[in-house]
Amino acid sequence: MITAGIDMGIQTVKVVILKDGVAAGKAKAFSGFEPTKAAEQAFAQALQLANVKKEEVSMVLATGSGMDMAPYSAGNVSMMGADAKAGVFLFPSARTVIDVGAEEARAVKCDERGIMQDFVVNERCAAGAGTFIEAMARALEVKLEDMGPLSLKAERASPINATCVIFGESDVVSLIHRQESKPEIARAVFDSMADRISSMVHRLGINPDVVLVGGVAKDVGFIESLKRKLGISVLVPEDPEYAGALGAALTAASRKKGASK
Amino acid sequence: MKSQTAEKKYLPDMPQKEIEEMNATVKSASAKIIADNIAKMKKTDPNRPAAMRYFDEVSDFFGMRQKEIQAAKAQGKKVIGYLCVFAPVELILAADAIPVRVNSGWYDTSKFGDRIVPVEVCPVIRSTIGAKMINLSPYLELSDAVITTLTCDGMTKFSEILSDVKTVWTMTPPRVKDSAQSLHLWKEEIKAVKTQIEKLTGNKITPKKLKEAIQTMQKATKAFRRLQDLRKGNPVIMGRDAMLVNQMSMWDDIKRWTEKTDALCDELEKRVAQKAWASPPDTPRVIVTGTPMFWPDNWKLPTLIEEATPRGLLVGDELCSSDRVLYDPVGVDEWTMDDMINGIAERYLMASTCPCFTSKDGNEDRVNWLINKVNETKANGVIYYVVRGCILYAMEYARVKRALDKINIPVYYLDTEYTREDVGQMKTRVEAFLEMLSARVDF
Repeated sequence: MITAGIDMGIQTVKVVILKDGVAAGKAKAFSGFEPTKAAEQAFAQALQLANVKKEEVSMVLATGSGMDMAPYSAGNVSMMGADAKAGVFLFPSARTVIDVGAEEARAVKCDERGIMQDFVVNERCAAGAGTFIEAMARALEVKLEDMGPLSLKAERASPINATCVIFGESDVVSLIHRQESKPEIARAVFDSMADRISSMVHRLGINPDVVLVGGVAKDVGFIESLKRKLGISVLVPEDPEYAGALGAALTAASRKKGASK
Repeated sequence: MKSQTAEKKYLPDMPQKEIEEMNATVKSASAKIIADNIAKMKKTDPNRPAAMRYFDEVSDFFGMRQKEIQAAKAQGKKVIGYLCVFAPVELILAADAIPVRVNSGWYDTSKFGDRIVPVEVCPVIRSTIGAKMINLSPYLELSDAVITTLTCDGMTKFSEILSDVKTVWTMTPPRVKDSAQSLHLWKEEIKAVKTQIEKLTGNKITPKKLKEAIQTMQKATKAFRRLQDLRKGNPVIMGRDAMLVNQMSMWDDIKRWTEKTDALCDELEKRVAQKAWASPPDTPRVIVTGTPMFWPDNWKLPTLIEEATPRGLLVGDELCSSDRVLYDPVGVDEWTMDDMINGIAERYLMASTCPCFTSKDGNEDRVNWLINKVNETKANGVIYYVVRGCILYAMEYARVKRALDKINIPVYYLDTEYTREDVGQMKTRVEAFLEMLSARVDF
């Protein structure tokens, strides 16, 4: 059986083609001003990589904040529901999935079937999400992808208490004025994010194993900070930004299976 | 009456022209919102009970009920507004005065309130201040005096602010119920407000009058409970409709409200017999608890729940703006003045589940009330709704969540503001929660 999931993220659209329980094709595109078009492009590319024709896809489901704009879709899956499905598919021992995207961070508690049991979302604020790293990288005049490796060189932590992206930025500026080194400031940025996310996860209650997905899960600096703050190890899949799309494709597969029963 | 020459401590002197312009703008926006809310409620339940038409009419702030109160005032009747469900409406009715709740549910007026108090203050307060600044709320404007209860910090300071332009009678509830002094203290508050009401209206509250008023409210409670019972089974009424009915009890003439609610229940009983469900019987059942929600703007969460995909059904709430209003009747053994005052004091203090209370066991009454409600309505989940600045409800969440975890009822904490801008984000969360509930219903 072939199904597909489209994750209409705020910054990036991700598509996964699932063929007989394997993610056979993955592609992404910048959402931009025409997210539907971006999704169509990513979809075509993912089909090509999977070597599958569009007609062969039996069901497409959408997720992500722009899910209502997804093309080809037969319905929606919530981002939290998709995270839970993907987390347990990728790591069967997963019981908590943390997803940190461009503008939202969330944590989902799930059971062994990948069905969500509870969830929390960061409170209408980007300080615990990817956009924060971007803004801080700008303030430090560092490339986004260099932030993580840079932070690992820090010898100590210097605290900032970012309550929001704007104030976080002025916190960073004051660290610059105090002549803190760039690695230490970079680490401070990840630590403050990890702090917020870890308190959020604590409110939910931590059930190991913990899986980290979403675009920010590609950042080594953030992963290190989060492990430190949570005090436990965190599992990170390959291509963590595709978790939402994968979860939607998996949900489509189980709905199809349920329907044919 | 408040002297108009007294120096104002908080409220600014706004130019009359600005007040009129703002008033007209918000008023016309408000008419649109009310029409829109009602249209949405009709769409959700295409067979919406015909008896709802009456409540739709009462829900128009600037319509029938306003004119009626104006006419009564012209005949010499007094209007007594109140902001908390602690206000003993039986005493107001017994003095032939009109009780009416005056909290603001308008989003647009909160930004006027921002000129007086910082945005950290709860939006219910900010918006009510703003409504006063532009003379928007007909019921607040028509009030000859307003009863405020000092349940939270917002309400406490708001009483001062409102005193700039209105006669305000504050009532201080004790923060603990089980101390020997509590009921005594509260009884004195009740007696003090009784004296104030008598003075304002010039009408003596006689035992006969008070008995009549208590019985009127007992009848209202009976009709209210009948409606609540009908919400326990398969859905014959959408939650928003029931919520509107319950909220209108605080604006409408209570005797007429009781008749109309009974008529609605008759209609709903027919629906039960015909199995004409307002929503499929397997619709996930949700209870809302937390900060009160006021018509017309703050209908946001109930609308999201009942318009979501998958759809949810609001089977009840633990809000002092709807299901808590008429829940408890005043219990009286002997119809003596003293016994009636005792009954009133007990009903408004002991039965309250406001988070302003504490005890060594915590606010057990609220937790138990909620669990009882979950069981009675067979709810699948609870949404814990808090507006920014509503500290007592926000803090009590952890306690409530633990209690609900124990009975395996999922609860989601949803925080918001008096704004329309976060509807998209709220929708994502509400839909994920309902998806989770339906998955649990399925298995």
